[in-house]
This record gives sequence, structure tokens and C-alpha cells, in this order.
Amino acid sequence: MAFSFQDMVEEARLSARALIDYGEHFFNPTVRLGVTGLSRAGKTVFITALIHGLTRGGRFPVFEAYASGRIARAHLAPQPDDAVPRFAYESHLRALVEERRWPNSTVDISELRLVIDYQRPNGADRTLTLDIVDYPGEWLLDLPLLQKSYEQWSAESLALSREAPRAHLATEWHTHLATLKPEAREDEQATLKAAKLFTDYLRACRDERFAMSLLPPGRFLMPGNLADTPALTFAPLDVPAGGQAPEGSLWAMMVRRFEAYKDVVVRPFFRDHFARLDRQIVLADALAAFNSGPEALHDLEAALAGILDCFNIGRSTLLSSLFRPRIDRILFAATKADHLHHFSHDRLEAVLRRAVSGAVVRAEDTGAAIDVVALAAVRATREAQVAHGRDKLPSILGTPVAGESAGGEFFDGNTEVATFPGDLPVDPEPLFNGADAFRGLAREAAEKSDFRFLRFRPPKLAREGNDEPVLPHIRLDRALQFLIGDRLS
Amino acid sequence: MNDRSQQRRPATFRLDDPGVVVTEADETGRLSRGTIQITPEPDPMALPVPIEAARPVRRGFPWGTLFWSGLAGLTLLGTGLSVVHLIEDLFARSETLGFVGVAFAFVTALALAVVIGREAFGLARLTTIEKLHQRAAAVLANDDRKESRVIVQDLLKIAHQNPQLARARATLESHAGEIIDGADMIRLAERELMSPLDAEARRLVSSAAQKVSIVTAVSPRAAIDVLFVFVAALRLIRQLAYLYGGRPGALGMIRLLRHVIAHLAITGGMAASDSLVQQMLGHGIAAKLSQRLGEGVLNGLLTARLGLAAIDVTRPLPFAALPPPKLSDLATDLLRKKDDEE
Repeated sequence: MAFSFQDMVEEARLSARALIDYGEHFFNPTVRLGVTGLSRAGKTVFITALIHGLTRGGRFPVFEAYASGRIARAHLAPQPDDAVPRFAYESHLRALVEERRWPNSTVDISELRLVIDYQRPNGADRTLTLDIVDYPGEWLLDLPLLQKSYEQWSAESLALSREAPRAHLATEWHTHLATLKPEAREDEQATLKAAKLFTDYLRACRDERFAMSLLPPGRFLMPGNLADTPALTFAPLDVPAGGQAPEGSLWAMMVRRFEAYKDVVVRPFFRDHFARLDRQIVLADALAAFNSGPEALHDLEAALAGILDCFNIGRSTLLSSLFRPRIDRILFAATKADHLHHFSHDRLEAVLRRAVSGAVVRAEDTGAAIDVVALAAVRATREAQVAHGRDKLPSILGTPVAGESAGGEFFDGNTEVATFPGDLPVDPEPLFNGADAFRGLAREAAEKSDFRFLRFRPPKLAREGNDEPVLPHIRLDRALQFLIGDRLS
Repeated sequence: MNDRSQQRRPATFRLDDPGVVVTEADETGRLSRGTIQITPEPDPMALPVPIEAARPVRRGFPWGTLFWSGLAGLTLLGTGLSVVHLIEDLFARSETLGFVGVAFAFVTALALAVVIGREAFGLARLTTIEKLHQRAAAVLANDDRKESRVIVQDLLKIAHQNPQLARARATLESHAGEIIDGADMIRLAERELMSPLDAEARRLVSSAAQKVSIVTAVSPRAAIDVLFVFVAALRLIRQLAYLYGGRPGALGMIRLLRHVIAHLAITGGMAASDSLVQQMLGHGIAAKLSQRLGEGVLNGLLTARLGLAAIDVTRPLPFAALPPPKLSDLATDLLRKKDDEE
């Protein structure tokens, strides 16, 4: 009974909050845009480019309200939540434009409010407030834990860690795990060690060679201010799924800490930032998965499916917006589309559509509008044709970041290269066909892999007078039109 | 995947490698064997996006339409009533005359029905073409692939009646299954289907302009050339509409004329800046030579401008891949012809 009572309290809290929000939004229309994406999917860059494009003025021909001049101006405003740090837009922009490097990976949550003054087609002046939240992508992986018990999670984590190529990375942790007896007395030192080895294993999976996505709990990788607290000191044990933990045992201690983790970390995060979204964009970096291999692609698919199950998707009604806001538009975006020639963008979209097919079907059934798009919030490359012998390769030109390698050569971050990353198949289905679908870095040497997507530095941009330069992009305007275009008309 | 052997391998080339040559798109040089040639492509997303002059949006309740419908209905009722009276009178006088009257009334009614049907068909067709134009403009902006396929199918249907386009249609149909982005598909369709029509349209406009200018120059009375200009303009609009697949009847012509004039009013300002100076100069010089000649040139130019507006209105696709015809080109045609004649 305890669980259901807790759930009821949680639901009541969410509804109360929604009601308060509704009252506020009645006079001041607000869209809460959820920028969802696993780590390294490009959330920070997307937000920076979006804010820059709207405030500074970008090239958005498809974004109707902007292209037709109905948006008078957009400016930053103080955010509503006082306890959340401000999104460091200015420093991210400086990193992109002046230092030509991508912003550092996000370690803590941050928020920003953008106010758009616009005129409706019938002439009335209006204001739309856009609240955008940035957070470490790793934390997102915690959301599916809300529905799981410790035993379930343990069994799943162990099963995953015994598959290739993870098994190899998890050897050390598995050896230690074999020495632990769940029914034994609780033992702080053994737990500390298990948690550390488990964290090391998760971290190793994240390496570019393997590019695994499904790595809960997220705070283990990006602990923030909770590092070394008991809530973050636990690890999976080899326990039966339906079993009951004996009192005072190691198992019971782990269960308690797992529940504490959910209470202290996951529930507030979900409540504060995800339960009240109106629109959502899901960013996914499919290209890293292509680099690595079929396992990484499967992992990405599973991670996205798990996350999307947590959101409340469906057509908005008056009742739902009063008590439990729903997401009525979802955009799935395959980011870093500039790493491909635009001939292949449709194929990249097809791959993403296939990877999130479950969520797409579910969203369509509930009446929410969905779209899939290949985009690049900041376009780092140009396109070129490379004539190589008899072949003509649709390639891209750009400067790889220092330390990237291709064909046995390492780049210093100043050399410009033309690269052909490999042909994406027309039909995405075979890519998801088992472990031999294609060859990636996780199993093969670099020369043998089927795809090689280099990471490029941000483009070199000239300042126009005193203003910051306009950031080039691919289909960011289409994304904006889909996400907020209808609210501006 | 069995086709892995055919799949192309990833490859990376440094631009500062001595074996790599970077050339511009329009350069065609012969390369020695073994060199790798890299040709940067123009950035499709950085090209300027043409913003269409907004078509006048109908607002509020259509009182005008209601007025005309009511009036037409009343007229029809009145005519019907008088015809009935007439036939009754005829029957009263002689049965034979009455039957002849009925036969005439029947034929008239049938012809009226056919005419109305044709008008309705023509109007519907104009609407289709206008819609197609707007949809194509939207696809050019948002690059929607599915929609582009639908548009191309509709376009092929319209172009089906034009036998000159048989080969162009076949070429376009052969591309239908390939992977082409939405906007590119529209551009392709424009290049294939519209370029022969555009050439013809330009010829029509420039010949109409020439005729007008010659008639103005030699006509003895102002009333005659005003009438001639008007008839020539109507004829030109009709020809252009037929050329691009429309079949306007009388009502369709009225609507087209309204759109052309509205378009002229909107784009007139923009077009004025590009070539007005030249025109006035040309006109001024011609007027110095002879006042008549000057008027002729000016009228010709106005007709040409009207023709350009009519092209914009009747063309099923916006100008994206092909350059729109400019007044200055037509004006040069006009003046050259004049020079030849003198």
C-alpha cells in the first residue's frame, strides 16, 4: 500500500502545480519547451543556436512567423525558478563563435526564459514566453527507473552487462560482484567498492568507441552536488526478481538506497522539469552509434524508448491542461546532420524514425502531432563532391577537432579535410538486424568499419560590424515552425 | 547485408595533401591520373530565399459575390418568366409557333447550361493552378518530400494536355522514384516542364508589346489605340493562361484580370526601381525623335509589364530554378525591333 500512497501524493503535487501554472499562463501565454536528449546529443548547442537565432536574428525562411516579419523582437528575461542556475548562453556562444569549440558537457541543470513579442496575422500584439531547460543528458536515463523496483533494475543491468561488448568492460565489476552475498550482513566497504567499480564500468561504456547510451543511473556519471552521498552508493546485486530482502542484509541496504535515489534525485527532477512540458524536441545523435556499431544503435533505441515512456503525451484538452499537462507536439531530431551530405538526410531521418518507431506509433495513437527531422543547430561543414578515381563521392568539408583520426591519421584541429562518411542504406531495417548488421569501431579496427563520422569544429564565422555573426544551421527553422509556429498564429 | 561489397567505403582527404586539387564548380581542367579532385558545392541553404509578393487575402464576408449572385439569380428568373410569357403568347397565336418557341427555349437553356458548366470548370481550373502555385512555394520553403511528389503529379496532370511537353513529362516521370529533396523536386519539375513554356510566354508578351507599340504609333485616333491596347491585353492574358494550362472563360478572364491588376499594383513598385530609369531614358529619346513613336514605346512597355504580371499569375509554379523574365529584356526586344524598322 505504501507505494500507491506515495504515487497518489506525487500525482496530487503534480496536479496542484499544473493548476497554478495554468492560472499564470492564462494571462501570460507560456510554452515550456522540453529539450530532451541523451548526453552528447547536442542539447546545449541547440538551445544556444535557438536563442541566438531568435534574439540576434537568423536565417529562418521556413519559420513563418519570423520570415514574414511578425516577430517584432525576442529578448531574454529572468527565469521563473529562483533555485535553478541561469543557462550560460553568453559563454556558450563565445565558445562557439570565438574559440571555435563546442560548449563543455553540461554538469548541472540550468534554465532560461525567452520572451517573444509578435503580432498575430489579424493584427493583435501578443507575447509568448518560452521556457527552456538544459540539463546533463545522463540524468534523463533515470526517468525509467521510477517504474522499476531494485530487483528489476538489478536483473536488467546485469543482463545488459553480460552482453557483448559490455561484458569485456564489466569484467572487474563482475569479479567483485561474485564475492558479494546478497543475504549477508550489510557491509559499507563492500558497497563502496561495488559502487565504484559499477561507475567505472558505466564510464567505460561511454567511450567514443562503444558509444553506449543505456547507462542508468545517470547521476553515477554526472553526480553534481550529490557525489559520495549514500543515495549514490549502491550497485546491482545478483538477486531474484520477485524475492524479498532479509532484514539487515546487504540486499536490504541496496534496496533502501535505490529507493532513496528515486526520492531524492529522480522524482524532484521529473516533477520540476518534465511533468509540465507543452512541447518536446528529442535530440538523438545517431551518427555516434553508427561509428560504434550495431550494439550502440540498439542501445540508443532502447534508451529512447525507455525515456519516452515516461512522458505524458496526447492531445491537450482543457481538463488535461488544468490538472496534468500533456505534450501535444513531439519532434524527433537526428542531430549533427551537417556531418552528412544532404543527399543522405532523408536516410538519416528514416533511421531515426525506425529507432523511435514505438514512441511514434504511441504518440500518433494519442493524437499528438509528431515529426522527424535531420537537423544541425550549428552547421560546421560545407558540402563538396570528391572525384576519386572513377567514383564521385558526396562529401563534406570541415575542420575536425584536435585528436580525431581517420585512415590512420590524426588531425591537429587546424587542418581542413574532405570526408565521405559512408553510404547510409535506403532502407533502415537491415541496420537493426542483429549484431552483424554493419561494422563499427566497437569490434573492428578503424580501417574496417562501414561508417566514419568525424567530429568537426564549429565553423569560422566573420563578425558583421559589432554584431555577433549569424550561426548557419540546417532545418532549425523547420524545427521551430513545428514546435512553436502554431502558438504564434 | 549482402550488398556490403557494393557499399562505398568511408574516406577522408586532407585539403593540404599534394595529391588533392580543390577546384571551383565551373572550372573544368584536365587532371593528371591519381589526383583527387574536390569541388565545393554552393550552399543550398545560404542562397537567398525569394519572398513572394503576398496575394490579396480575401477578408470577411463576401458581400460582392453575394450581390452578383443575387443579381444573376434575379435576372435569370426575370428572363425565365418573360420566356414563359412569350411561349404562352405564341401558343395562343398558333400551336406551331408555340412549339418552335419551346424548341428555341430548350436549345438556349441547354447552351446556357453548357456555358455555365464551362465557366465553372474554367474557374475551378484557375483555382487549382493558383493553389498549386502556393503549395509549390510552400514546398520550396519547407522542403517537404511527400508534398512535392503530390505537386509533381498534379502538375503532370495539367501538363498532359500540352503535346509539346510529352518528352519533358516522360523525363520528369522517370525521376519520380529517385531520392530527391522536396524543394529540389519542384525545381526539377520547373526546369523540365516550364522552360519551353516560358520561352513561348516571353515570345507572346514581346510580340503583343510590339503590336501595341506599332499600332499606337500609326493609329490616327486616340480612341482606336486605347481600344486596341485593351483588346491586346485581354488576348495576351488569355493566351498566357492557355499556355500554362488554364482554360478561363468569361468569368475566369474577369478574375484573372483582377489578379493581374492586383499583382501589377503590388509588384509595380518593386519593378519600377529596376528599370524605370532606362525606360524613361528610352522613352525620352524616342519622344525626341517623334511624339507618336514615344507614345508607342511607352504603351508597348506597359503591355509588356502587364504580360509579366500575367505570367506570374498564370504560371503554376513560382520562379525558383529559372530566372523570371525581366522587363528590360523585353524592352530591349521592343526597341531593337523598332530600330530595325526605322
